[in-house]
Amino acid sequence: MPIRELLLQGADERDLTKREEYEAAGGYKSLRKALGMERQAVLDELLAANVRGRGGAGFPMGRKASFLPKPEDTPKPIYLVVNADESEPGTFKDREIMLRVPHLFIEGVITAAYTIGAGTAFIYVRGEYLTEFEVLKAALEEAREAGYVGKDVLGSGFDLTIVVHRGAGAYICGEETGLLESLEGKRGQPRTKPPFPAISGLYASPTLINNVETLATVPKILEMGGAKYAALGVENSAGTRVFSLSGNVARGGNYELELGTTLRELIYDLGGGIPDGRELKAIIPGGSSVPVLNATEVDTPLDFDSMAQAGSMLGSGAVIVIDDRCCMVQLGLRVAQFYMHESCGKCTPCREGTRWMVQLLRKIEDGEATQGELDVLLDVCDRILGNCLCPLGDAAAMPVASYVAKFREEYQRHIDEGACPFGGGSSLEGVLAPVDQHHAHLRGQIEVPTHA
Amino acid sequence: MSVELVTVTIDDREIQAPKGQGMVETAASAGIEIPVFCYEPRLGAPVGACRMCLCEVEGMPKLQAACTLTAQDGMVLKTAQTSKQAAEGQDAVLEFILLNHPLDCPDCDKGGECPLQDLTFRYGPGKTRMQFPKRTFDKPIPISPLIALDRERCILCYRCTRFSENVAEDGQLVAVNRGAQSIIATFEDEPYRAPFSGNVLELCPVGALTSTTYRFRARPWEIQNVPTVCGMCPSGCNVWATTREGKVARILSRNHPEVHEGWTCDKGRFTYDHLRAPDRITAPLVRVRRRGFEESSYDAALDAAEAGLREAGSSVVVAFSGGETVEQAKALTRIVREACGSEMALLPEEWDPGLEAFRSPLSAIRDAEVCLVLGDQPVLERSPIVDLWLRSARRAGAEVIQVNPAGDVQAAPGSAAQVAASLREGDVPTELKATGKRLRSAKRIALIWSDDDPSGGRHVGALANDLHENGKADVSVYVLPRTPNGRGVPAAWYEAGEGRSEPPEEGEIGALIVSGDEAAYDPRVAELAGRARFVLTTAMFQSDLTAWSHVVVPGTSYLERDGTMVNLEGRKQRLRRAVIPAGLDELEFLSRLGERFGLDIAAWAAPTAEELADLPPGDEFAWSSPDPQAPTGKAAGPGLDLVRVRSLFSGAGVERIPQLQFQRPAPEIELAFDDAESRGIAPGETVRVLSNGTSRDLRARLNRKLRVGVARVAGEHAAGFEDRVQVEKIGA
Repeated sequence: MPIRELLLQGADERDLTKREEYEAAGGYKSLRKALGMERQAVLDELLAANVRGRGGAGFPMGRKASFLPKPEDTPKPIYLVVNADESEPGTFKDREIMLRVPHLFIEGVITAAYTIGAGTAFIYVRGEYLTEFEVLKAALEEAREAGYVGKDVLGSGFDLTIVVHRGAGAYICGEETGLLESLEGKRGQPRTKPPFPAISGLYASPTLINNVETLATVPKILEMGGAKYAALGVENSAGTRVFSLSGNVARGGNYELELGTTLRELIYDLGGGIPDGRELKAIIPGGSSVPVLNATEVDTPLDFDSMAQAGSMLGSGAVIVIDDRCCMVQLGLRVAQFYMHESCGKCTPCREGTRWMVQLLRKIEDGEATQGELDVLLDVCDRILGNCLCPLGDAAAMPVASYVAKFREEYQRHIDEGACPFGGGSSLEGVLAPVDQHHAHLRGQIEVPTHA
Repeated sequence: MSVELVTVTIDDREIQAPKGQGMVETAASAGIEIPVFCYEPRLGAPVGACRMCLCEVEGMPKLQAACTLTAQDGMVLKTAQTSKQAAEGQDAVLEFILLNHPLDCPDCDKGGECPLQDLTFRYGPGKTRMQFPKRTFDKPIPISPLIALDRERCILCYRCTRFSENVAEDGQLVAVNRGAQSIIATFEDEPYRAPFSGNVLELCPVGALTSTTYRFRARPWEIQNVPTVCGMCPSGCNVWATTREGKVARILSRNHPEVHEGWTCDKGRFTYDHLRAPDRITAPLVRVRRRGFEESSYDAALDAAEAGLREAGSSVVVAFSGGETVEQAKALTRIVREACGSEMALLPEEWDPGLEAFRSPLSAIRDAEVCLVLGDQPVLERSPIVDLWLRSARRAGAEVIQVNPAGDVQAAPGSAAQVAASLREGDVPTELKATGKRLRSAKRIALIWSDDDPSGGRHVGALANDLHENGKADVSVYVLPRTPNGRGVPAAWYEAGEGRSEPPEEGEIGALIVSGDEAAYDPRVAELAGRARFVLTTAMFQSDLTAWSHVVVPGTSYLERDGTMVNLEGRKQRLRRAVIPAGLDELEFLSRLGERFGLDIAAWAAPTAEELADLPPGDEFAWSSPDPQAPTGKAAGPGLDLVRVRSLFSGAGVERIPQLQFQRPAPEIELAFDDAESRGIAPGETVRVLSNGTSRDLRARLNRKLRVGVARVAGEHAAGFEDRVQVEKIGA
């Protein structure tokens, strides 16, 4: 039952990267509809749809857009910035959208830009996403030729320039203010908030920043009507999401589901369960930065509130399945290494704390840690949490603290036995790139799971 | 503008504060400390990087960086004093900061005056839980001959890089790498060569940036800090002179928000070791027939000086250097006027008393809408602080228009007076039309004169008067004198009597009194010395001129004087003696010399509080427009017009500081792009410069903004050149 394709609808049957195909499937109709509406009316539809941001934080999109001043009320230009710097480990949904339904995404960008009165939209694409960049560029060129982008869009009098910008390989540039700094040509480091981007964002001007998937939702909302879209999913979690299923699962890939579908349905019914007769051990439900769930929590629905209730987060919608071969200390070390490597170095707790976490976890994994050092590790996580400039520090501390909390006996065995019970080798096979080899993804060596 | 007051509660105390004021300041106003490392309002918007200021704020789930908060009505904030959560947060931040800090306080120069040390004692953990080897870096790294960088001590508060980027705008200090491997570096690892580099030493809250001239020289508990005023340029930055065992060990900035906001240039900061230069004159020298100079007692020197002056009668000329205190200048004036009956003086500047009407603090530049800078001399080289104020004005949205041969509006060399006159009369050439229009529409204007033309004060003053009278604008006028007390010395001369006459063009003169090294360097003075029967010189160092003298009295530095200086704003400021000079105090020598002629001159400076009143309001003054003067025309003929730039990093003091040599101007000639191209000269190429039978090889530096037909050379590389030079490609 649960597959509910809105965004990826028709992408299996047609080549929707081609404009004619996309138009034949009803594409760009929403845009025409939007251009015929008042800006406020479009915004009202988005507010009615109650769609929450798909990047990770889950902030209601319509409300965020309503924080921006109206074009007539500000002397500054208004910008739309698209966060296509998808870097959260386990997440590969935006790339699928850009690769397979780029026109839907572009249509969303144009519509959103029209809604807020932005004359320029910047799409900040993760540097490693070269193919996605090229597909997007080709689609954008087609859209320009057809008059969807540029001067006087479809004769509506609305002018729009879209700039596609490639990042240079920094996770932190997926944080919205770090992205803005990077886009301005500065060192990619987050800014303090307030001022929020809606007031002072790109070039100190009002800026709306949205994730790729969020914007791809916009044409569908207008097509269906906000209220109808809001009826999809469950309370507080309207609509569908593209979940990236990976890890120790038979059929990994992107699955678009209505929010509220359970993890079990995703992992077992769609993903084919855990291969080779192994046991489910843990699930990371929203990308590497969220607290882990254990096997008994597999019936948790995939929506914002249920995940919060379970002590975790829906995050970026990346579901990583972990089977019984995995050493949770190695997983903690791997995750901590990633965040240490990606810490921008601006604020103290993250810069120093993530490195200390790695040192402590490495010692635990090597069986050389004392009992006290396990307590220090938890305390370090606790001291990073909530004390940083941006969420990256929390993103490192939260999962590691949850691994210790939920799999304490495994950490304890490392200390008691003076060695890793899993033999110390790579137990992360199929979950994340092995410990100490976190540069592999930069070389484009890792295959992205395809749709099952 | 009235400021709305709001009530905030900090640590259970209600505090009234202007709305929008930073919470660190708001707390401080009630005597409550919020500890900070990265926060420094002079560096621009807060960055919230170090997290030291974490506080609990009612209604917010997480601790907040107080440095990024501003006072809003009803805000309730708790510091570590009353909030356990905040105390825990600050303890955590300090634990993280100290994690990889080497804790080498016993041999760190900052130890004893280190914010990190102090705050660790107040807020930090008592012991470390870090069991791993600390992060190490190569150290110390000399990022310039003046500054050493210790990356292990660095806590990455980004104060230094923000200064470089946001204040000095030199863009030379940068952060490289990321995460735990982030380090401070210079751009492309080039030496940090910038006129304000030394400020990062004071901004650094730890011992990561230390001065090579102070490193390992003193400890905070064995030094004394004397509050005085820098005497190296007319800006009048307030400074602390740190002394140890009677010697100046360093100069620190002392923030006067209206004068310099606590920034100081490298010339002021690093020029003090020349006080102990081996070639310093420490005892009077009297020329003895056929034996040359002999060191003598002060009494013998006074005898010789008295005799020389008495014999000269009223044919006495005094040459001021412009570095004297007001008290010294007055004493000398009285000796010349009253004892010798002469009115002949060479003054460092001609001062127009009318400028007192447009007196404003330097900080008014930042608040101006339009800043107009006239004159051939770069502002930076005359008064570096004014350059910083102009940058801050531009950042605040002001339009800064420089009219000079390499300015926003290109003007011919020597045409500043004409530019001022044409802007006043509204009869402006095409290239100045926009400037004139902008001036007429602005309500707050800063006019800055930076030129050698002595009549500048009158021209720019008349323009200011016109803009004020007809344009109803608030106008501030700043004439940048060439010399540190260039405003006070002429005032002192005229205060003692009306007149002044120039020395005769030719023929013998009875006596020449040369006051100070700057005067001794002046070619006009050298020429007079050749015609004088008797020359009395006060100088710190031997020069060509001291060789012409009959009596040489040891001179002193501003660091060795008590007295009053008037900076370019017209602000009278008190100099305090930091160290005792080797010889007699100059004022005491003048007092004793006066006594020989029956004059009662106080041997010590005692300015009254009234005299030192903080920049009193401008005087009323009736303006008469000066005659529109033809520009000081340059000789026609082939070649380029030469503009000699008097470099900031020049003079007797700078020449004697080895670490400052890299800041001195390179042997370069600045050429307009077209002039270089037409001669086939490539950037960086060594070219031959010919003038007046002198030839010198200089490196060509191309400046796209420089007016065609003009060449600029630093004064010290232009000796012997006339106003026009030929530039040739070598081997052409």
